[in-house]
Amino acid sequence: MATLHVLSHSPFSDSRLSSCLRLLGSGDGLLLSGDAVYALQRGTAQRQALDLMPANIGLFALEEDLCARAIDAPPRVQVVDYPGFVELSCRFGKVNSWL
Amino acid sequence: MNQLIVDGRRIALDKDGYLLNLDDWSETVAEALAQREELRLSREHWEVLQLLRGFYQEFQLSPANRPLIKYATLKLGPEKGNSLHLNLLFKGAPAKLAAKLAGLPKPTNCL
Amino acid sequence: MSKSLLIVSRQPPWSGPSAREALDIALAGGAFDLPIGMLFLDDGVLQLVGSQQPGTLQQKDLSANLQALPLFGVEALYASTRSLQERGLDGQALALAIETLDDAALTALIDRYDQVITL
Repeated sequence: MATLHVLSHSPFSDSRLSSCLRLLGSGDGLLLSGDAVYALQRGTAQRQALDLMPANIGLFALEEDLCARAIDAPPRVQVVDYPGFVELSCRFGKVNSWL
Repeated sequence: MNQLIVDGRRIALDKDGYLLNLDDWSETVAEALAQREELRLSREHWEVLQLLRGFYQEFQLSPANRPLIKYATLKLGPEKGNSLHLNLLFKGAPAKLAAKLAGLPKPTNCL
Repeated sequence: MSKSLLIVSRQPPWSGPSAREALDIALAGGAFDLPIGMLFLDDGVLQLVGSQQPGTLQQKDLSANLQALPLFGVEALYASTRSLQERGLDGQALALAIETLDDAALTALIDRYDQVITL
């Protein structure tokens, strides 16, 4: 059953992102919200790791958190608003929030 | 504040009648706590109270009913480790009542 | 049939409430006979080190509490092999009988459960 992993912490101050990336399986999704969108900052190892994720992993980021932080999402990442977040939560079998 | 007087000593209880200070426990205190619950402690009651104190020593928490039954089965055998036996001894609420009499904190994982 | 829940505990034992909260969810769920699994990941594996003495920190003994998991019906206990290795704990005797899993096995584990929460 596919999992949508939801991250909201900065990838520069802890290891949630790197641990999560290792646990993603085919068909799983990753949604970046809050400070987790900093993972898309250009020129960082985190952005590079996300760019290299296989196509069978869905990558998503919350629009308002990107805008607030002046971060541009690459085409590989699908930008969603809150209704889109809800729709995603229903589309995946389960949601794993990394609190 | 809730309190219990045993041999002239004041012993503080919380609002549900559990010992505030676990070191206050003694067999006399257990008898006095049982009296408040209108319970006479038999040998079989004592066996469970000792069992609970052992559980607390080992795990530093009070068991809910299910783990209490499991632990009793493990240590005392299936005739003692079943809900019927424990319910009969402790008015249908073994985890809560026996923990109280054994001087343990109120179990947090049973509603 | 109740939904199964995997609790991922990934914080160290004594520096914040997360490890305690993860354990409390497991114990409460187990007491109600819910099918619960627990996975120790990242710094969470530090909870499994033996002979810890939190008394010096005046904290409740999480290590002792962890030992009660099987009695509370929580027998599906896992740890990340990688997290153990990174912290020099591979091959060490752990305070809990636990199955260690590599990354691929962890992905499969998460997939198997109906619900997952990470603390």
